Order: sequence, then C-alpha cells, then structure tokens
Amino acid sequence: MGVYIKSSAQISIQNPLCNDWAVSPIIYREPYARAVECDYKKYINPIAARRMGKILKRAIAVSSSALSICGAAVPDAIITGTGLGCIENTEKFLSAMTMEGEEFLQPAYFINSTHNTISSQIAIFLKCHGYNNTFVQRGISFESALLDALMLFETGTVNTALVEGHDEMTQGYFKLLDKLDYWRKEADGKGAVAGETAVGFFLSKEEDTVKIEGTEILHTPSMDDMSRSLLKMCSDAGISLKDIDAVMVGANTDEANDAVYEAFSETLFHGVPCLWWKHIFGESFTSAAFGMYVADYILRNRVVPSAMVWKNSVKSAEQIRKILIYNHFNNKEHSLILLSRW
Amino acid sequence: MEQLILELKKQIIEVLNLEDVKPEDIDSQAPLFGEGLGLDSIDALELIVLMEKNYGIKLGDPAQGKEIFKSVETMAEYIEANRKK
Repeated sequence: MGVYIKSSAQISIQNPLCNDWAVSPIIYREPYARAVECDYKKYINPIAARRMGKILKRAIAVSSSALSICGAAVPDAIITGTGLGCIENTEKFLSAMTMEGEEFLQPAYFINSTHNTISSQIAIFLKCHGYNNTFVQRGISFESALLDALMLFETGTVNTALVEGHDEMTQGYFKLLDKLDYWRKEADGKGAVAGETAVGFFLSKEEDTVKIEGTEILHTPSMDDMSRSLLKMCSDAGISLKDIDAVMVGANTDEANDAVYEAFSETLFHGVPCLWWKHIFGESFTSAAFGMYVADYILRNRVVPSAMVWKNSVKSAEQIRKILIYNHFNNKEHSLILLSRW
Repeated sequence: MEQLILELKKQIIEVLNLEDVKPEDIDSQAPLFGEGLGLDSIDALELIVLMEKNYGIKLGDPAQGKEIFKSVETMAEYIEANRKK
C-alpha cells in the first residue's frame, strides 16, 4: 500500500496558488510580512466569508484549489496541523475583553477563535462528513497531521485525505518572538524571516508521481537516534540511506538553528545536495508543510529551482528521485518525511 | 434620522465585516434577515452587542428583536427613542 500526493496548493508570503516562487521568488528584506492573499471571491461567497478570518479563507482556497487540480470533490478525511490556530481572531477577542470587559464581546471572534475551526470550516464548505481532526503540536503540528493521515491509510480507514498546515503570523505574536531575538536583525542579515502557512495536500491510495514513503517524529533525539530512525524509514521503504538523492532541511540563516542541519547533513549525508525552503516561505510552526510542498514540486517537475539549493550543488534534477525532508523545532521536536518519485 | 441611518449602516458594515457592501447598497427599509442583507442569528447577536456598545441600549426582551431588527430604519427608530449615549 502506498500513499501518494495527488495535488497541492499554497498561500504564503509568495504569490498565492501558483509556483511563481520557483522562477522569481519574492525576496523580503524585512523579517515580517503577511501572506499574499488571493481573490477569495472565486472560492467563497462573500456573505459566507464575512465571518472568516484570513486563516479560514486561505484554508478554503487551498483546499478547493488542491481538490480541483486533481478533479476530486470530497476527501474521506480532513486533517490539519496548526501551531497557533485562528490567532488573529483570538487576539481580537482577547483584546476586546481586556479593553472593554466581558459585556461587549463579538460572537464571531469567539466562534472562530478555536484551533479546530480550520478543519471544521473546510468540512462544512466541502460538505465532508468524514474523519475530521486538528493537531496543535507547536513545531510538529503539520507532521502530526500527516502521521495521522498515513496511519488512517495504513489501516484502510480512508482512501483519500486532505492534509494541511495553517498558521497566521500576527504583528503581536511577531513582536513577542522578536523580544526573544527570534527573527532576523537587519544589521547582519542573519536569522529567520517570519512566514504564514496555508498549504493543502490531497493524498490518495491511487498511484501518482510522488509517493510518501514515511514520516517520523522524534523528541530531543541524539544523532544515533536520528540515524536509527532514518535507517528504519529507509528499510520500510525498501531502500538504503545512499538512495536518498537530496535532503531538504529547515535551515533559516539563524546560526543555532542551522548548526543542527549542518551536523546532520555532514554526519549522515556528506556531499549529498541539501535544499532549503524557509528563506523563501518563511518560518512558522507549520512551515514543514512548505518543505513537503517544495519537495513534491521538485520531484513532480524534475527541476530544482536554483534558489532552493542550500549546499552541495545538484548535478541533475532528473536524477533526484528521493528527497528526505528534515525539520526541527527549537532542536527539541524533529521530523523526517521521505518522498520518492514513483 | 437620516444621519443616524447612515451611521448605523456604516456600523453594520464594519461589525458584520460586509467587505463589499457600501452604505448606499443597503436599502433602509429592506429586511435585514432572510432576504435583503441575508443576515442570520449570529449577526443578530452582533447587532445586539452593537446597540449596547454604541448606544447604551440593553435589549431586555429578546422577542422585541424581531421588530427592532426588521430593517435599518426600524433599528434607527428604536435607537432614536431609547438611546442612552
């Protein structure tokens, strides 16, 4: 049994619902930018959209887009990962409570302030009565949603699933993290750029170009743990470590963050091309979804955009058949996703 | 009254997030619920909050809502007669 990526769609700090990023990515000098929005009227009736925050509109748009690309209507399951949920509406609701007390709270902000609103809204919009779940696991939220989906496929519970990652980056939250020196400082140009995530994948048991071989989530692993986990993942996929043609890492120019990837790639993948995505799509709790999005694009289109090469040049994109995506969150939660061109 | 109706239309657009609607698009006498703007029960809650917050009117009897929220005009008339701020 295999699980394949049938289609995907993204809204981010790059141009939405397209792959312009691969040819002419938008480069941000400032560490904070909101996502580039699409025309939501194409996907949602404005009256229905009036209570939706940005994150919900984006979720509907990427879901609709991913489904329409492969001509699917309703998935068997909708599973999303989100670190912060509908944080913008939550902030509005809490700010109103702080400023005006509990008397004048607007119900729409309250209704939309819960994390699971995203999966629910997609289900209501698609009239999907199947399995519906939301994973709020900070930096491994998307990977947890993906793991859940793979287990549902494995047990034969579903034949198709929408698996998504969603996060907003409000100015308030950005500033809080900025106080912790989380973001890029203009002086040296090093450090993470914030991003917003809205990525949807339509997965199916039906064969397609890109197969998800497996995923692993590890908590504070040693290099030996990583190695063992990788070897098991490769063994399950019927391959060896040297069959992995490229490693896509969550490097973001922050020295402490990137040192983990340096050690990993030097120890286990010396000389193997390393790709990255966070300098283009930014950092968020669910940014690993963009790692999978970019890896899927590379395998499907047999092209490696030059901006995505982190180190060790790619000799031939045609020869890249297996990509390992490695991401970590604060060097505590680590995740591996293995994709192959089928 | 005309001034209050215009003010109310602007507030309704803002509080209900009717992005593409302009005050002149709202017929003062058209039904707010069902037809017309097509508002629903959650919008009714938003309008109750709006009246209390902006005009100091606390709706004691929920049954009154049906008459008060019939149209922007009926809302304005009720606000004019009962406003505390």
